[in-house]
Amino acid sequence: MSVATLPRTAGLVGWIASTDHKRIGARVATYSFGFFLVGGVFALLMRTELARPGLQVVSRDTYNELFTMHGSVMFFLVMTPLALALGMYLVPLQIGAVDIAWPRLALVGDWLIPSGGFTMLMGFATNHGAAKSGWTAFAPLSDITRSPGYGQDLWIVGAVLATLGAYALAVSILVTVIRFRAPGMTMLRLPVFTWSMVVTVLMVIASFPALVIALALLFVDRHFDSEIFAGAGGATVYQHLFWFYGHPVVYVIFFPFVGAVGEVVATFSRRRFFGYHALVLSLLVFTALSMSVWAHHMFATGRVTNQYFSLTSTLLAVPAGVEYFDLIGTMIGGAIVFSSAMLFAIGFILLFLIGGLTGIIVASPPIDYHVHDTFFVVGHFHYTIFAGSLFGFFAGVYYWFPKATGRLLREGLGKLHFALYFVGANVTFFPMFIAGWEGMPRRVADYKPIHDLSLVNLISSIGSGVLALGTLVFVWNVWVSMRRPVLAGNDPWEGQTLEWWTTSPPPRHNFDSLPPVKSYAPLYDRRMGET
Amino acid sequence: MARGLAIGDTYSKVSDLFSVYEWVMIVVAVLVYGAVFYAVLRYRRRGDEYRRGTDKRTITESIYALVLTAIAITLFTLTYRTEGRIDPVAAKGGVRVDIVAFQWQWQFGYPDFGKTVLGKQDQPATLVVPVGTLIRFDGVSRDVIHSFWVPAERFKRDEFPGTHTKFDLTFDRVGTYIGRCAEFCGLHHTDMDFFVKVVQRTEFDRWVKT
Repeated sequence: MSVATLPRTAGLVGWIASTDHKRIGARVATYSFGFFLVGGVFALLMRTELARPGLQVVSRDTYNELFTMHGSVMFFLVMTPLALALGMYLVPLQIGAVDIAWPRLALVGDWLIPSGGFTMLMGFATNHGAAKSGWTAFAPLSDITRSPGYGQDLWIVGAVLATLGAYALAVSILVTVIRFRAPGMTMLRLPVFTWSMVVTVLMVIASFPALVIALALLFVDRHFDSEIFAGAGGATVYQHLFWFYGHPVVYVIFFPFVGAVGEVVATFSRRRFFGYHALVLSLLVFTALSMSVWAHHMFATGRVTNQYFSLTSTLLAVPAGVEYFDLIGTMIGGAIVFSSAMLFAIGFILLFLIGGLTGIIVASPPIDYHVHDTFFVVGHFHYTIFAGSLFGFFAGVYYWFPKATGRLLREGLGKLHFALYFVGANVTFFPMFIAGWEGMPRRVADYKPIHDLSLVNLISSIGSGVLALGTLVFVWNVWVSMRRPVLAGNDPWEGQTLEWWTTSPPPRHNFDSLPPVKSYAPLYDRRMGET
Repeated sequence: MARGLAIGDTYSKVSDLFSVYEWVMIVVAVLVYGAVFYAVLRYRRRGDEYRRGTDKRTITESIYALVLTAIAITLFTLTYRTEGRIDPVAAKGGVRVDIVAFQWQWQFGYPDFGKTVLGKQDQPATLVVPVGTLIRFDGVSRDVIHSFWVPAERFKRDEFPGTHTKFDLTFDRVGTYIGRCAEFCGLHHTDMDFFVKVVQRTEFDRWVKT
């Protein structure tokens, strides 16, 4: 397709039906952020309930709906779509492409995700309420006898739609990288973020079908008495299928944000990314390992080969350690600028470490026998997903928002947002390690006032309020920056990759011209007079 | 992390293993945080400079990756050995206890003594066991998946419907401890507690005959 014939759609039709990858990416990111606010409200309601022993705010039944939908919304409708939205927007720009491959497929994926989201949330309007068997929906708890009502069915349909949507976006991104790279853009000159997207979409393609199959069979079980997941064998098979999706997905919602942090750290250290080839290799090793660790969620079942999954899970420390080496190695010897984006990137490095190290701890089956299904694990994965992935996402937002809108976000508000998030994340999630270790299971609406559970829960609930405040500061920042724009220009940060070559926002066809590409940092090369 | 009081064999093994992990993690965290703070303090931007650093240090990074692998393998070896001491179940001896979990109570049976304890609403089941004796558990669920967790013993095991799960525990300290269902099992999961009462052998023998 030549540049001149690219369709340009405006107005309402453009807003809902444009196949421009930038529109698709921005749209997915926008509604995912809306779902983030919804899932966040669920979390705040839960933390309010847990602030004191006893039941004060919600019933047990409602609480079970809340944690089920909090997890489901955050996985299916927030973190996965946000990860792919970044890729959808940035990958074509970073590789010097005119557009995304198979844009209409991407458009379908774009709209499948919120369709799934509304389907899932519609459960709240049914007689029995929304799904309440956890975001994992383990059989046989999720069968028709123990989870009657349409809430669970709507959840199944919604999760399948959102997962298929994510799959479509992923396929489109992968084909773009394979087919649409600019002249000179070899695979080993792809920017760090684009590489992180490549491995991400590989995992999506390999693992997401397992969830679709598991949930389809669950649906059949619920309505056609097929008893596929009946008995101990069936219950175990369901867990295998679920976690075959459920573990890779946590890397799907992690890698793109590592990639974003990599770009931010390189740009604001004002040097090229350090250890590029090692990072690419580590991402590939990470991806391979990520497909063989799923049953570490099943140590306490006594029905899997714990030793094998413990070994593969512990070995994840090696590629993760290499990534840390490269990120910190980029900062050492640089000239670091403390922008909001860079602060979030440093916050990511500091806080994800706690999630990663506790991950090595729970990879040990004897220790996991104690901490599995407790608040210790809840603390662990919130350090990885909130203090890790979401910090990485915000690093990316402060970095790329000017490219997408042509406007800079306010740095002062950005730093306030960072400070509230950094304090809030630690105050909220660190006490959870203590609560879990002392004997508090996860997914409970109440706890007995023994040990120190009352105090740690109260601290954690206060922290969640700080996080809510930080989120409001961010929303205010976007509002102010859009209403009273400070123009960004093409390249406000002196970036190193091709997206900073074009205008902000980029034209429909992305580039009027392209500089020569001789490395993974073409604009850096140009600035240093190397091309 | 708070140690609490050792109540049994499994407790000691898990705690020993955990303290190794804990120290390794603390040392790693101190090193990484040290490196980040060094970078942040030493390499802040001072002028308009644009840095031309070394792009890679392949040999250093390879050695570093090998060191990480060695640490990971060492931790795994310790885990492997500890698990080898916790997982095996004895074929005979000790006291047998049958666990039946169901929504939302526990039932403990003593097949050698023909005694059964059943939890009721507001009166959780109490598992009475003799101190310092091997307890051979055989658990099953009547409906959904539950999980038998005694936090003070640092141990849990899932109970599946339709199949039996076997594990051994020893309780070395007299006292009463809380037990909980750890696997989410529906509406009253929050309240699915039980107690473990560890007593002297003579007291156990007297109790089990009542």
